[in-house]
Amino acid sequence: MITLTIDGRQVEVAPGTTILEAARDQLGIEIPHYCYHRDIGIDGNCRICLVEVNGNSAKLAISCKQPCGDKMDVQTASPAVVAARKGVMEFLLINHPLDCTICDQAGECPLQEYSYEYGSGDSRFVERKRNKPKHVEFSDKVMFDGERCILCTRCTRFFETVRECRPIGVENMGGKSTITLGPNGPIADPYQMNIVDICPVGALTSRDFRFKQRVWFMDFADTVCAGCARGCNITAGAYQGKLLRFVPRRNPEVNKSWMCDDGRLSYKDHNLGDARLRGAKIAGEPASIDDALAKLAELVGDGQGVAVLASTKDTCEELLALKTWAASAGVTTLWHGAATWSGDDFLRCEDATPNTAGAKALGYEPVPAQAPALRGLVVAGDVDVPPALLAGLDFLVLQRATETELSAGAVVLLPGRTPLEKKGTWVNVDGLAQDVRPAVEPGPGVPEDWTLWRDLLGESWPSVKSLTLRVRAELGGADGRLVASES
Amino acid sequence: MKLSSVISARFDTPDSQSIETYRKDGGYETYLQVLKGEKGSPDDIVAAIKASGLRGRGGAGFSTGMKWSFVPKNVDKPKYLCVNGDESEPGTFKDRQILEFDPHALIEGVGITCWTIGAERGYIYLRCEFKKGIATVQKAIDEAYAAGLFGEDVQGSGRTIHVSLTVGAGAYICGEETSLLNSIEGVRPYPRNKPPFPAVEGLFGCPTIINNVETITNIPHIVKRGAEWYAGLGCKDDPGSRLWCVSGHVKRPGVYEAETGFRLQELIDEHCGGMRGGKKLKCVIPGGSSSKVLLPDEVAQVTMDTPGIRKFGSSLGSAGIIVLDEDTCMVDAVLNLMKFYAHESCGQCTPCREGTPWVVQVLQRIRDGKGRLVDLELLDDIAKNMEGRTVCALADGACWPLTSILKKFRHEFVAKIPGAEKGAREVATA
Repeated sequence: MITLTIDGRQVEVAPGTTILEAARDQLGIEIPHYCYHRDIGIDGNCRICLVEVNGNSAKLAISCKQPCGDKMDVQTASPAVVAARKGVMEFLLINHPLDCTICDQAGECPLQEYSYEYGSGDSRFVERKRNKPKHVEFSDKVMFDGERCILCTRCTRFFETVRECRPIGVENMGGKSTITLGPNGPIADPYQMNIVDICPVGALTSRDFRFKQRVWFMDFADTVCAGCARGCNITAGAYQGKLLRFVPRRNPEVNKSWMCDDGRLSYKDHNLGDARLRGAKIAGEPASIDDALAKLAELVGDGQGVAVLASTKDTCEELLALKTWAASAGVTTLWHGAATWSGDDFLRCEDATPNTAGAKALGYEPVPAQAPALRGLVVAGDVDVPPALLAGLDFLVLQRATETELSAGAVVLLPGRTPLEKKGTWVNVDGLAQDVRPAVEPGPGVPEDWTLWRDLLGESWPSVKSLTLRVRAELGGADGRLVASES
Repeated sequence: MKLSSVISARFDTPDSQSIETYRKDGGYETYLQVLKGEKGSPDDIVAAIKASGLRGRGGAGFSTGMKWSFVPKNVDKPKYLCVNGDESEPGTFKDRQILEFDPHALIEGVGITCWTIGAERGYIYLRCEFKKGIATVQKAIDEAYAAGLFGEDVQGSGRTIHVSLTVGAGAYICGEETSLLNSIEGVRPYPRNKPPFPAVEGLFGCPTIINNVETITNIPHIVKRGAEWYAGLGCKDDPGSRLWCVSGHVKRPGVYEAETGFRLQELIDEHCGGMRGGKKLKCVIPGGSSSKVLLPDEVAQVTMDTPGIRKFGSSLGSAGIIVLDEDTCMVDAVLNLMKFYAHESCGQCTPCREGTPWVVQVLQRIRDGKGRLVDLELLDDIAKNMEGRTVCALADGACWPLTSILKKFRHEFVAKIPGAEKGAREVATA
C-alpha cells in the first residue's frame, strides 16, 4: 500500500491508483475533469484536473493519469491549481458559442457547472469566435455541433474502447480540430446514443430528445429499464406525467454507464395515452374494481381447472401477491409468459422482459408445450397469451394496462400499471435483485397491481414494502442479493 | 574562432553519399568492430557515450548515454531505435545536410546504437518535405543491406539488426518524440503523456530510444576515437562539435560546424560575414524558434554552450540561430512565429489548442493598430496559462519566444497601440 497526503489528509491506496481516484474514493474530493471517464479510461487532454504534487507549482500534474506515489503531497486547490483551472476554463470558453439558452445540455452541463465553480465569470476574449461545422447528422439518432465541442474525445474513445469500432474521429489539427464521421457514413452502432450522455457539453445531442424539454422542469426517477433481462439501471425523465427519455445510470455490476439504443428509446412504449384502461369491466361493461374482483372470485370458485399466466414484466412483489392469492383460491398452475428480441454479446439479452429470473425463483413455470385443458385462465400483466390456452375456456380474466384484441373475449378486465409506474423488485439475468421505482403516475382508476391480489385475499398489507421484505426473505441467498446501484 | 570538421568532414567529398566512398573513408569499420565485440560490451559503449558528454542534438539537450541507460535490460519484448529526422523547428536545417550528404554516417550510427541498446530495428523517421534526403537515405539503406551490414545474424554476430525508413506526412508535432512514435504506429500523432517514458514503453509498447539525426551521426565518431577525445572538444560541461544553422539577416547564412563554447558574435562577424547591408543587429533567436531571444549586448557576451547560454536565460535548442536586423518589426516577427505554432498545434490539449490561435488573434489586432495596453498583459497571461500545462512542449516552445520578445521589445508593441502614449489602458477596442 502507498501512503500519501491529499490536501493535508493522509490516505492509503493500492499501487497504481491515480490521484483523481484516490481523492474521489477515499476523501470524496471531486477533482474536475472532462476527458477522463471511469468506464472509458484516461486520456489526459482536457487539462482541467491539474493538481500540485510535492509543491511543484511550475509543472502541475494531471490527476487523472498521475499514479499516487509514496509520501506524495498533493494539493487539489493550491493557488497554482486554482489559477490553472481558471486558465483552462477560459480557454474552453473563448470559442464556445455560450448558447446555453438554446442548448439541450443546459442544466446538466459540466461546462456550465465548472464554469460557475472554477471560471472567472467574465471574458477577456474580444476576438471573433471560430466557426466550425454545426448540426451535423452523425446518424438518425445523434446530432453534432462542432462549435460546442471541447475535443475531450470521450465519444471517439467510447467507440474505440467499449465498442471496438471507429465510426467517428478527430479531423484537422490545432484550433481547427473537430470530430467528424468516418468514411463509412452515419454511425450504425446500436449503442451509439451513449455518446450523447458522456459528452460533457452540448456537442452531441439525442435527436429524439433535443428541443423537447428543459431538464430543470422534468421529474426524474432512478429505476431499471424494462426492455430486457439485463435490467440496465436508468434514470427516467418525465414531464407532466409523460416520459421523455431514459438515460443509463452507472452500475458497475450490471451495465456500467451504458445501455442499448432500443432500450433507451423504449420509454415510448410506456406512454399509453388514450389506450390506457381505467377502472374495471365485466363482460365489456364498466364496473367497479370491487365488483370485478368479486366476479373473478366467483368464476375461479374452487380453483379446479384454472391457471394463472403472469407477465415477467411484473415485479416480484406482484408475483408474490398473485401467487399467495392463487394458493388460497386453490389455483395450483402458475405460469409465466415470455418475450424475446435479438440479443448481443454486450448488454442486450434475448429475453425481452426484466423479471423472468424473479418469476422462476417464485415458482412460476413456463407454459408447457402441451398445455392441459383449462376451465379458466387468469392473465396478469402485459403478456402474449399462447392461442392454445384459449381453446375451450369457460372464462378468461385479463389484468393489464391496455385493452387488446383478447379483451372482447374476457369476462373480467382489470387495470394494470406499466413497468415505469411500478414499485418493487426485478431480478435480472445474473440473479441480481434490483429496485424498481415509479417514474410516472398512471392517474385515476389504476391501482397498484399488487393491491388487486391483496384485496382478493382479504389481507391488509399497508404498502408494497411489506411484500418487498417477504420477497427478499423468499428469494434469499445469492439470488436474492440486492445491490443498491450508484446514482 | 575556428570552425571544426567532424560531422561535416565528408560533406564536400565528391559522391559522398555512396557506400564506396564512405567505406574508402573508413566508414563502417567501427560498426564491424562493434559487431565482433571488439569495442567492448554494450555496457562499455553506453559508458563511453556517457563519458563523452554527448547531449541530444534535437533540442532538449539530454545526455545521450544517460538516455540509453534507461532501457530496461531484462524485458521479454523487442526494443527499438527511432531516429528523429522530422527536423521542423523554424531556423533549423542541419539534419538535412547529413541526410543529403553523409547518409551512411547516420546509418552506421543506427547500426552501432541498435547493437548497443539491443534493438532489433532502427526506424529513421523523416519529414515528407525532405524529398532529396528521403531518396538519398533510402538508397544508402539499400546499399547497406546489399553489403550485408543489416539483416538477420548480421555479419555472423548472432544479432538481428534492421534499419528502415519511415516518412511522415508533414507536421511539426511529429518531431515531438512520442508523436513520432504514434506516427510510425499509424495512429493520429498526438503526443503521449509521460510517464511511461519511451525508454520503458515506446514504439508498439516496447522499450524505445529516440535520438536526433545529428546525435546518432556522432556515435561512430565517439566509438571510433574514444570518449576522451570527444569530451575534449569545445566546452568542458557541454562538449562536442555541432552543426549550427545560421539564418536571417547575415551576409552568409548557412550550416557551420564548430566546437561548442565559441562566441556567437564571432560566428556572425567572422564566418557569416556580419550583418547584411551593413545594418545593425537587433536580436538573435539562438536555438530554433522555441528559444528565448537575445539582445545585441547579450549576443556580444554569450558563448554557445549549454551553461553559457543558460546564463542569459535562453537555450541552444536545435542550434537554429536566427539573426534579425534593426529593420525587423518585432510585432510582425513574433506574429509570424505564433502563426506557426497555432498552425502546428496538434489540438490535443485545451491550453495549446485554444491558446495559440488566441495569441495570433491578439497580435494581429495589435499589428493592425487596434491593440490595447491590456492586451500586453493578456498575452503574458495567456502564455502563463499555457506554459507547463500541456502534454508536450509545443506550447512551452510558443510561450518562450513570445514572452521574451514581449519583455525585451515592449516599446515596439506599445508604439503600435493607438493612444498608448496617453497611458490609456483601454483604447481602440476591436
